[in-house]
Parts: sequence; structure tokens; C-alpha cells
Amino acid sequence: MFEFLNQPEVIKVIVTIGSMLLFFVGLFGLLTRKHIIKIFISIAIMESSIFLLFIGLTFNMDFIAPILDSTHVNVSNMNDPVPHAMILTAIVIGMAVLALGLSFAIEYFKLTGKTNIDEMNEMRH
Amino acid sequence: MTGFLILATFMGIIIVSFAVIIQKKLADSIILLMGVGLGSVVLFFIFKAPDVALTEAVIGAGISSLIFLMALKHLGEEA
Amino acid sequence: MSLKRELPTSTLSGFALSGLLVLTILNILLQNMPNKIQTAGEALLKLNTQEGVANAVTTVVVYFRGFDTLGEIAVLFIASLGIGLILHTNSRCDIKAESNFMLQTASKILFPIIMLFGVYVMIYGHLSPGGGFQGGVIIASGVLLLLISYKTFEVPHAVIVALETFAGVSYVLIGLIGLVVLDTFLGNFLPHDISQMGMLLSGGIIPLIYIIVGIKVGSEMSMIVQNLIQRSNDV
Repeated sequence: MFEFLNQPEVIKVIVTIGSMLLFFVGLFGLLTRKHIIKIFISIAIMESSIFLLFIGLTFNMDFIAPILDSTHVNVSNMNDPVPHAMILTAIVIGMAVLALGLSFAIEYFKLTGKTNIDEMNEMRH
Repeated sequence: MTGFLILATFMGIIIVSFAVIIQKKLADSIILLMGVGLGSVVLFFIFKAPDVALTEAVIGAGISSLIFLMALKHLGEEA
Repeated sequence: MSLKRELPTSTLSGFALSGLLVLTILNILLQNMPNKIQTAGEALLKLNTQEGVANAVTTVVVYFRGFDTLGEIAVLFIASLGIGLILHTNSRCDIKAESNFMLQTASKILFPIIMLFGVYVMIYGHLSPGGGFQGGVIIASGVLLLLISYKTFEVPHAVIVALETFAGVSYVLIGLIGLVVLDTFLGNFLPHDISQMGMLLSGGIIPLIYIIVGIKVGSEMSMIVQNLIQRSNDV
């Protein structure tokens, strides 16, 4: 069974289905939970699933990490460095924007004292 | 061996993330979010991406969960 | 009427519809998956050896896509500005409790080690995995350790403003000097021999820019963390 799981097509299928399942777990939490902090946690889980999908799709099992050395000077069997660079930026920005959203939630709680999203209906009248 | 490790880690991450959104107390779900970050770091290490693994370890399992815990203290939730 | 009260029909129908859409896309994707996806990475890896930098991801972040990094620093600056505007207060903070004796003693030992590790990861970013983002956030976590250990510790506002201004201005200045000398924004105008690969002083302006990015990210993260802790409890 181990040799069957090591083929490149099977690895791509596992990565795609797994990250989509993680995305759906986060989406379920986003739609059905009522506390505002739990909604932010679900958004963090959804972001994490997309990062895994992005790097897992360009993964080749026989290649090595993209760092040159005195012993690794052959660049033809190294992984692709462009998705790594993009995901690095995305992780930092995702955390900063999440912190900004949390500061909004804190300020709203100081003003009105509500954390349930069903009771936040000031704009509905 | 690589394919089996990827499959096992994905199953672990999905089970832990399902436990995150089901919990009643919020402090428990934030600590389990650190578990999702840990599984993500292991998976990035298997994908041979050391820079991304280091960034996710420092941010996802270090600063991000601590920011959530500090916001929880301001919202008046008990431990 | 009572059934509509119990089941959230609109939520579940939206969920099922998006699930159908994703399953359709997945089906198409899994059937025509190419064995080798065409990427731009091979050409960039070959160009990387001309710069003389060991870490290929650092070259892509700082040099080949250096303008994207400038935009990302701008996004971080706007997020930190927003948090500071909403949460800043001048009154004394009384939400922090006096901490344990064990925490105070341990933080005296741990804080220099964390700072040293953060500076090491930041400076050696072009030789081994690491760089400005990772080192900056490690330094901010060291500051967070001090903030929760001592009741009257705070980072002075003028120091953080000076560090951020210096880092932001010098990033753009280095880009403009490259424009004057080499006719490209963020061109590599310092010497970058390929024989120096693996040494500390190699790669031209690439380690310099990454250190500047690390200083900016570290000071902004410290400001975010300090604003989130220090807010007076007037409930």
C-alpha cells in the first residue's frame, strides 16, 4: 500500500481533497456559529487550508528544498521558489488583518456589550 | 512512505479543526487552533518548504493565538 | 411555521449549493491534472545564481518581486495604524495583574536568548531559511514576554516611531538610488560576486533590504501587541 500512495497523481488527489475538506469545515463554522470570535477562528482555518493547497500542488517528491549550498549546486532538481515567496507574504498579511478585525470587535463590545451576532441589529430599523 | 505521512497528517488536521468549532468554551478552541498550526508546520516540512514552515510556526502557532487570547480577555470571557 | 423555526433553511441551502460548486470544480480538476505544471521557477532559479545568494526564496521575495514586498509593508503599516487609532489610550493601564515570581525570574533569562535568536534569523536570512519577516515576529514575541511579566513595563512610543520611520524611508531611498545608478527601481548596485556565495557579505543589497524589512515588521508587531494589552478597563 505504501508504493500505491507514493505516486504523484495520488498525492495530488490527497492534497486537493484534504484541503477542500478543511475549507468546508471552516465554512461550516463560519455559517453556523453565533459568537463573533468563533467566526474569526473559522476564517483563520479557511486561510490555512488555502496555503496548504497552494504549496501541495507544486510539490514533487524527488526534488529538494530551494537552497543552494556547496554540495547542492544543480538547480534542475529543486522545488519552485515562487509559491513559497507568495505564501510567506500572505501568511503575514492574513494575521495583521485578523488583528484589525479583532480590534473592531473589542471596540464594539466596549460600546454596546454584545457578542452574539443575532443581537447586532442597530442598522435594521 | 511520504504519501502515507501526508494522508495521516491531513486526517489529524481535519479532526482537530472539527473539534475547534464544536467546543463550548472559547479558550479551549484557541488552544486547539495552535494544534492546527502545528499540523500545518509538519505538512509544510514534508512538502520541503523550510521558509514557509518557519513563518507558519512563528506566526500561526505563536503570535496569532496569543492575539486571540488577549482579545478574549478584553471581551470579558472567563478562563 | 415551526419547522422553519427549527431548521436554518437558508444557511443549509447555501452550504449545499457551494458544496455542489466545489465538487464540480474538483471533478474537472482531478480528471485533467497535468503531470508537470509549467512554472516560472526554473528560469528564476537559473537567474538566482547570477546574484550570488544561497537562499532562492529570499532572492524572489526581495529582488525579483521586491515591489510586492514594498506593497506588503504598506498593508502592514495601514493595519497597524488602524489598530493604533481604535485602541490607543493615554490613561494608565490597570488590566494587567501582578505576575508570578517564577515568570519574572524566567523572563530575565529567556528574553536575551529570544532577542539573540531573532537577530540571528534576521541577519542570516540570505544563507539559510529565515529572513526579515520571521526575525521581526520573533523579536515581537520577546517583547510580548516582557510585557506580560512586569506590570509597569512599556515600550516608549517615540522609539517605535523612530524605528518605523527610518526603516520605511530607507527602503524607498535604496530603491531610488538603484534607479539613479542602474536605471531600474531596486537595482543591485553593490558588488555581488558569485564566488562569495555562502559568506555573510554577499548578494549586494539583498541582505540590507531584508534587515530593513525585519526592523519594520518587528516594531509594528510590537506596537500591535502593546496596543492589544494596554487598554484600561473601564467597565
